[in-house]
Amino acid sequence: MTLELLRQESGWFWPYLVVIIIGFLPTELWRVLGVLAGKGLSEDSELFRWVKVVATALVAAVVAKLILTPTGALAAVPIGVRIVAIAAGIVAMLATRRSLVAGLAAGELSLIAGAWLSQP
Amino acid sequence: MIYVPFRESPRPGRIALTGMRDALGLASITICFSLIGIGGLVRDIGYPMMAGALSSALMWAGPAQVLLFGSLAAGAALPLVAIAILFSSLRFLPMTMSLMPLLNEPKRPTWQLLLAAHLVAITNWAEGMRRLPDMPAAERYPYFCGFGTTVLVSGTLATALGYYLVAAMPPVLAAALLFTTPMFFTVNLTAAARTAGDWLPIVISVAIVAVAPLTIGTDYDLMVAGVLGGSIAYAIQRARRRSHA
Repeated sequence: MTLELLRQESGWFWPYLVVIIIGFLPTELWRVLGVLAGKGLSEDSELFRWVKVVATALVAAVVAKLILTPTGALAAVPIGVRIVAIAAGIVAMLATRRSLVAGLAAGELSLIAGAWLSQP
Repeated sequence: MIYVPFRESPRPGRIALTGMRDALGLASITICFSLIGIGGLVRDIGYPMMAGALSSALMWAGPAQVLLFGSLAAGAALPLVAIAILFSSLRFLPMTMSLMPLLNEPKRPTWQLLLAAHLVAITNWAEGMRRLPDMPAAERYPYFCGFGTTVLVSGTLATALGYYLVAAMPPVLAAALLFTTPMFFTVNLTAAARTAGDWLPIVISVAIVAVAPLTIGTDYDLMVAGVLGGSIAYAIQRARRRSHA
């Protein structure tokens, strides 16, 4: 209907229109609301403490989903290998006075080794 | 890397340059690895390369971009895709809110805060929450803008590169590439966790996501883990604060 008409009228510009209307507006809305709701917040307020903990929990949940139910090539790597690699990365990071490079490298190498060894 | 504060108050441009230099490390490498894959998705649905690059520059949200191009590939109705993206990006609300007290001191006009807020995505947010608190208040905004813009530009270039590159990759390498994102976020989040209280939201949230397929299902697990898990962690932290005070 309207969308189909817009698609025909916009021609080569259609993919860009999809990215802007379907992709950009719904994501940016939350950032704008976040500024409006957060600019008066003080670092010592209870609301700020709660929001910070919820944001951390949300990010941790997204990361956990990426590890436990991945898509594409990572899904072919056994779940045990993925979890051990994450653990290896955390241990390496903590053992090296919190170096992110060490954590990332240890995790990646564990994953590649595990994926290679578990290949049929 | 440890941020060394300037001795006299430097010009914002110099601080932004420091942020740019610090971003040209792990943060940019990780974002490149995670957005290369988006380029492949964009090519699969027959969209032009520039539409993929535009999605990284404007949406700046890896999971939402996967959702957009994955749904288009599956032929989903556009209004439904928009709603799914709306829900999947809800995390930006608390993420942006929690950065504001760090960026808005001294007080800044709203348009400047909106520009900085556009840079909010997991990488920039996690790096901001880790780096900014130790810096002098006036240096945080220019530093974050320099850092965040560099990561965003790197990611946009990587999306364009991935458009031409992804199809030619061996499977183990492709898996390692996809693993970079969760591994980097994991060490980033846990490196910032210093006390038992800091670990609480991470541990509770991961536990909820892990048991979700057997209990509440996987449609709302992100919301439950974030809002409910986060609130439980907050309540425990608050109780501990009270008992120590």
